[in-house]
Amino acid sequence: MVSRDVPAQGAGRSRGPAGSPENKAIAADVYAGVDTDAAAIAVSGLGKEYRHGRRRLRALDGVNLAVGRGEVFGLLGANGAGKTTLVKVLLGLARPTSGEVRVRGRDPRRAAARRRIGYLPEGHRFPGYLTGEAALRLFGRLAGVAEGTLDQRIPELLDLVGLAGRGGDRMGRYSKGMTQRLGLAGALLDEPEILFLDEPTDGVDPVGRRRIRDVLLATRRRGTTIFINSHLLSEVERTCDRVAILHQGRVVREGTVADLTTPALRYRVRLGEGQSAAPERLAGEGLAVVSGNGSLEVEVADLAALNRLVDRLRADHLLIAEVSPLRAALEDVFIEVLEGEARAAGVSDHGPLTTDHDPGGGR
Amino acid sequence: MKTWALIVDTWREALARYTLLGFLAVSSLFLLVLTFALNLDIVDGALAAGTLFGKAFEVPGKGPAIATVVATGQSVFAAMLYVLGVFLAVFATGSQVPNLQHRGTVDLYVTRPISRTHLLLGRFLGAVTLVTANLLFLCGGVFVIISAKTHVWNPRFLVAIAPILLVFLSFLGFMYLIGVATSSTPLSIMLPYALYLLSVPLAAHDRIAAAMDSRLGAGAVQVLYWILPKTAEIGRDLTGYVLGKTTPAALPLATTAAFGAVCLGAAVVAFNRKNF
Repeated sequence: MVSRDVPAQGAGRSRGPAGSPENKAIAADVYAGVDTDAAAIAVSGLGKEYRHGRRRLRALDGVNLAVGRGEVFGLLGANGAGKTTLVKVLLGLARPTSGEVRVRGRDPRRAAARRRIGYLPEGHRFPGYLTGEAALRLFGRLAGVAEGTLDQRIPELLDLVGLAGRGGDRMGRYSKGMTQRLGLAGALLDEPEILFLDEPTDGVDPVGRRRIRDVLLATRRRGTTIFINSHLLSEVERTCDRVAILHQGRVVREGTVADLTTPALRYRVRLGEGQSAAPERLAGEGLAVVSGNGSLEVEVADLAALNRLVDRLRADHLLIAEVSPLRAALEDVFIEVLEGEARAAGVSDHGPLTTDHDPGGGR
Repeated sequence: MKTWALIVDTWREALARYTLLGFLAVSSLFLLVLTFALNLDIVDGALAAGTLFGKAFEVPGKGPAIATVVATGQSVFAAMLYVLGVFLAVFATGSQVPNLQHRGTVDLYVTRPISRTHLLLGRFLGAVTLVTANLLFLCGGVFVIISAKTHVWNPRFLVAIAPILLVFLSFLGFMYLIGVATSSTPLSIMLPYALYLLSVPLAAHDRIAAAMDSRLGAGAVQVLYWILPKTAEIGRDLTGYVLGKTTPAALPLATTAAFGAVCLGAAVVAFNRKNF
C-alpha cells in the first residue's frame, strides 16, 4: 500500500458530516482493496463529539481507517489530535457520535467482541491495593481466562516483561516503568488477537523500552494485530508496518512507513576515499546540492538530473562509491504533514511544530 | 468466575483501605462495651427483679417479666444498631464506584470482555456480601451477648437484621447512582446521610402538608415522602417488632426497596452510556 494524503479531509476545506455521501466516498477510497469483514479493525466515517456545558468539542471528524490482520499499525498525531479518543472508541470505552466501528467484524461495545483483545491504556492505574500478581489474576478472571491457565501464564508473563520475583509486591511500590510493563503483561493475558497500546513506552527507560519492543516483536510474530498510539515516532518507525497521521480529528496521511519516509528524489552520493567535489560546481538545472559534508546529499528534479550529476562527477574523474536514496525520519514527515495542514488551514495554531523528543531513539 | 472475581476484588479493596477493619473495630468496640455494661450490678439487679425464688416472674397476660425486660433492652439496641449499622455500611462502601471510575483504572475494567452491567452489579454484590457479613457480626454479636447473659433468646432481634440490610441496599443503589454521575466519594456518602435525616420530618408528611399554605409545597412534601426511603418509619416498626408489639408495615419497606432498585437501575443505565 502506498502513502496517500487523504483527499477530502484536507484542512481548510469544507467538510461534510461524518455520514455524508462525501465521507462515504472517502470510506470507499480508504477501503479500496481491503476486505473490511476480514480486517482486524475497520472504521468508517467515525465522528465523536464531546459536550462541555454548551460547548461542543469535535474530537474525531469522519475518520476512515482499516487495519489488516497481523499488521502493526501506528497512529500518530500531536497532542489533542484525537488519538486516544479513537482508541477508546475502538475499545468501546466511548460511544461514537456518528459512523461505524468494527473490530474483527463486530461492534466493540459488545462485551463478547472484546474477547482476546488486549489493551494497555495511557497512564493506566492498577488498583494500588493489589500486588502485581493479584492484579493480573483479577483482570485475567474478568477476561474469562481459566484459573489453570492463569496459574501457568502469570509467572510466564511476569518473566517476559522483566518482573519475575516482583509479582508479590504491592502496585504502590512499582515504579512507572514497572507499572507500564505490568500493564503490558495484563494486555497479553488472554493471548490477544488484537493488541491496543496507548503510549506503551511512556515513562519507560531505554532498557525497559527495548524490552517492550522485543515483547511486541515476539507478539507480532505470533500473528497478533498491533495498534500503537504513540508520540515516540522513532519507536513507531521501528515497530510499525503502516501508520496514519491524525490531525484535528481527521486522518491526513496514511501509508507504509517505508513509503512515507522515502522522499521523492533525494539521494546520497558518496565518492571514493579521499575524493571531494565542490557543491557549488555541481549545482545546475534540476539539481540542488543540499550538503557536501563528507558525502553529497542532492535533491533532483528527476532521474535524468541525477544521471547528469553522475556524468559530471565522472567527467571530473571522480570515483563514485555509492548512490543511495535518502530516507527521511518519520518525525520529519510528521512535522512536514502537520505544517502543511496548518498552512492549508491558513492558521498556524500550533506555532512552531514540535514532537515529544525521544531521548533513546532516533535513527 | 467473573462475578466471583468482582466480589473478591471488593473485599480486597475494603481490606486494603481499612474500611473493613474500621467496620470490624467499631463493631467489636460496641460489643465489648455491651459485654462490660451487662456485667454491671445494676443489670444483674434488674434481671434478679424479674425472678422470684430463682423462677421467672410472670406478668399476667404478658408472659415472663424477664422476657419483657430483655425485649425492651433489645429494642433499644435494635434502634441503635439500625442507625449505627447503616451509617457504618454507607461509610464503608461510599468510595466503591468513584474508585472504580478513576481515570486509568476504569479503562482496565471496562475493556475486558465483561458487560458494564455485569461489572457494576458484580461490585454491588461484593458490597452486599461485605455489609451482610459485618451486620451479622455486629447484630449477631449483640444477640448472643444479651441472650447468653439473660438466657432469653428472642429471635425477633435477629430478624431485625433484614430491614437494616434492606435500608442499606436502598442507600447503596442511591450511592451507586451518585457515584456513577459524579465520581465523588464525599457526595456518595453525604447524600445518603441527608436522605436518612430527611426521612424523620417526612414521616410526619400529612401534618406538614396540612400546615402548608401552598398546595404546590404540600404536594412536593407528599411526593418526596412517597419517593424517598422511609427510614424513620422502618426504624419505628423495627423496634416495635423486636418488642413483639407490631409487624413491620409492608409499604415503607416496599417503597424503600423500590427507591433503591430504581436508583440502581438508573446507575446501570448511566454507567452503560458513559464515555470513559
